[in-house]
Amino acid sequence: MAFRTFLPLALVAAGALAAGIVAGCGSSTSSGNVISISTGSCGAQWQASPGMQTFEIYNGAAAGAEVDLIDPANGAIYAEVSGLGQGTTAPMQVDLGSGRYAFKCLIEDTGAITGPVVTIGGHVHGAAAILPVTADDLLQPAREYHAYVTAGLQVLVRQTGALAADVQAGNLAAARAAWLPAHLTYERLGAAYGTFGNYDTEIDGRADGLPGGVNDPGFTGFYRVEYGLWHGQSASELAGPASQLYQNVVALNAAFPGMEIDLLDIGLRTHEILENALEFQLTGQDDYGSGTTLATTAANIAGTRELLQILHSLLAVRYPALPSVYFWLDRLQSLVDAQQQPDGTWTPVSALSTTAQEQIDAACGQALQELAPIAVITEPRRTT
Amino acid sequence: MSEPSGPPKTPRRSFLRGAVGAGIAGSAVGGAAAGYAYRASRPPAASEVMAGDLQTGLLPAVPFHGQHQAGILPPPQQQTVVVSFNVTAEGRAELTDLFRTLTDRARFLATGGTPPPVGIGAPPSDSGVLGPAVVPDGLTLTAGVGASLFDDRYGLASGLPAGLTAMRTFPNDNLDPAQCDGDLVLQLSAGHADTVLHGLRDIARNTRGGMQVLWRIDGFTSPARPAGTVPRNMLGFMDGISNPDTSDVAVMNDLVWVQPGGGQPSWTAGGSYLVVRLIRMFVEFWDRVDIEEQENMIGRRRATGYPLDANSLYAVPDYALDPNGDAIPLTAHMRLANPRTPQTGSSRILRRAYTYDRGVDAVGDLDMGLVFTCFQQDIKRQFEAVQTRLIGEPLVDYISPFGGGYFFALPGVTGPGDFYGRAMLS
Repeated sequence: MAFRTFLPLALVAAGALAAGIVAGCGSSTSSGNVISISTGSCGAQWQASPGMQTFEIYNGAAAGAEVDLIDPANGAIYAEVSGLGQGTTAPMQVDLGSGRYAFKCLIEDTGAITGPVVTIGGHVHGAAAILPVTADDLLQPAREYHAYVTAGLQVLVRQTGALAADVQAGNLAAARAAWLPAHLTYERLGAAYGTFGNYDTEIDGRADGLPGGVNDPGFTGFYRVEYGLWHGQSASELAGPASQLYQNVVALNAAFPGMEIDLLDIGLRTHEILENALEFQLTGQDDYGSGTTLATTAANIAGTRELLQILHSLLAVRYPALPSVYFWLDRLQSLVDAQQQPDGTWTPVSALSTTAQEQIDAACGQALQELAPIAVITEPRRTT
Repeated sequence: MSEPSGPPKTPRRSFLRGAVGAGIAGSAVGGAAAGYAYRASRPPAASEVMAGDLQTGLLPAVPFHGQHQAGILPPPQQQTVVVSFNVTAEGRAELTDLFRTLTDRARFLATGGTPPPVGIGAPPSDSGVLGPAVVPDGLTLTAGVGASLFDDRYGLASGLPAGLTAMRTFPNDNLDPAQCDGDLVLQLSAGHADTVLHGLRDIARNTRGGMQVLWRIDGFTSPARPAGTVPRNMLGFMDGISNPDTSDVAVMNDLVWVQPGGGQPSWTAGGSYLVVRLIRMFVEFWDRVDIEEQENMIGRRRATGYPLDANSLYAVPDYALDPNGDAIPLTAHMRLANPRTPQTGSSRILRRAYTYDRGVDAVGDLDMGLVFTCFQQDIKRQFEAVQTRLIGEPLVDYISPFGGGYFFALPGVTGPGDFYGRAMLS
């Protein structure tokens, strides 16, 4: 799975520096909007008018910093500049409405400092502030997700065991029937693939990127077994890959209690699971013969819903468009579910009508647009 | 999959993520905008080329609001993309939402400005491709609807513009259904490719649930070579020399704009029929043809653009003096397309063609040709009459229409409260 990891801080700081240079040349911001922070101080008194403002944040402290513009009443954030390297300047753009504002400086290895509180009068509507999510806020969701994955892996052990036994017994029809539910169980665990590390490649890796493609000895896991089961390979040919899949699942199941879910992943995966579904399942690219990538998409939707459920209380007070997320996930799911026949089989993506494909792709694309803000909102932030 | 599905389903404005950007970027707009719409049938004066602004992507904003869409009369910009969509919106309310969102995005892209900051609430509201502030760069967006939008999905059947059909197949066509027709067509044109692609990405991200791309083609306009002439197409000939005069309001009302009454649904007044034809040019074959034969097929000198019977670019060919085609063959493209008789005057079209270039074909020949677009009041009376006269012309061996469609370019958006297709949808 091609999930992203966050950039190292050094890269972020370099990017902020470049952005600062650009803004310095092209921006029409008045000089009164420079906010200089230093060790022990989070900017002097400042003034601003309502409306769109660009502050130039200069880090004169002895370490890197993050600077937020907050509502001093509750710490909700209007705007943030993160990864601001020592001696650098970066623009902070914000639409200021009537209210009370303060800069909050989070200098590395130093406690938070809040600068002077500034009141903007009148009755002007500006951008809304959002309460930051802290690492502490994410501990319980991470525990819940860990439990969800633990339960899924236990099911997966049984299912892959049965699959391997069917292949071992030479009953390939039964193996074909057993393959899909096992694969879907795995595909519902999408937020944990990064946590799984190499196990994920061994259990659910694709053939692309391997020099020998589907014949490469490094091609293992669900897709390897799928390829064989739907390309006329014999039971003896498949016994090894099916057994190896089972053993890898058993090993993962044994190792998982000691694995920790990265708190960043929980928010990121709310859109990344379906990003992958769009790229690999709805295109049919991950169809190694069974024609079930729409079933995989349905499992991915279920995995996404699980994340939303455990994040719900955090999101409900921070993301006004959350109803749109559910609206589009519901539409996507009903369009995908409509492609399962009464006998339980699924329409291969390649056999979809143009209209059906367009509707599914549109709903998936819109669901992704609606999901994307969640990763930004739930990124764990320092507040103290 | 029994998880709770959250609060009530409220799709309103669901295509519209992120408010419209604020303000107008830069100060380059001024009064120069009017100069952009120079007469299509004449080369621009040096002052109108605005070479410096063109280089930096600072072509002035083309005013967005008006009785007609702003992208129809001006000469072809340097870069364009034509995209046909199928609409996936469910029901009339979502369709209306889609048109409102399209309007908001088009207005912002044409005007320019600073994309709204998002704080810690979302990824950036703009792709950043044009820098921190969106420059207009002369961008126009032309929106049209296809006949299929008037099927039973949205209850629009009674509003079908008269004569709007799926694109007809002509005898020399080789149409690929996957590259024909569509519910909705958008043409974005601007001074540079990045401006056009920025606009396309912006529109797509804001309308994902409402429509899906059916086919797409990119095009460009060559500089006039030599300066002061007319841009050439990939056959090496100047293209669009004898367009009707777009500065003549009466001529435009006779040839381009749909007028009130006349058997048309009333909402169509101020719009225009748009024909898009994607035409492959077999340039390798063409390059193996003698210059005299090339010029006889077109009816003009390749080097100068002069009609074969005249000594200047804009000279009107005198077919009455040449009834047997001794100077300009009777089968020359130019002569068949516009015989310049009283009977054929009303079949003239406003032609806006671009060159496309997209890789190679199955035998390794270059896949390039024409994104032919034209506007008219009546497809049958104009485009189809012209195309019928061209059936079997000698040029057909060197070109092959493979896609496109018939569309109705909507009336203009008249002000901040108006939106594309408002009258069609009300």
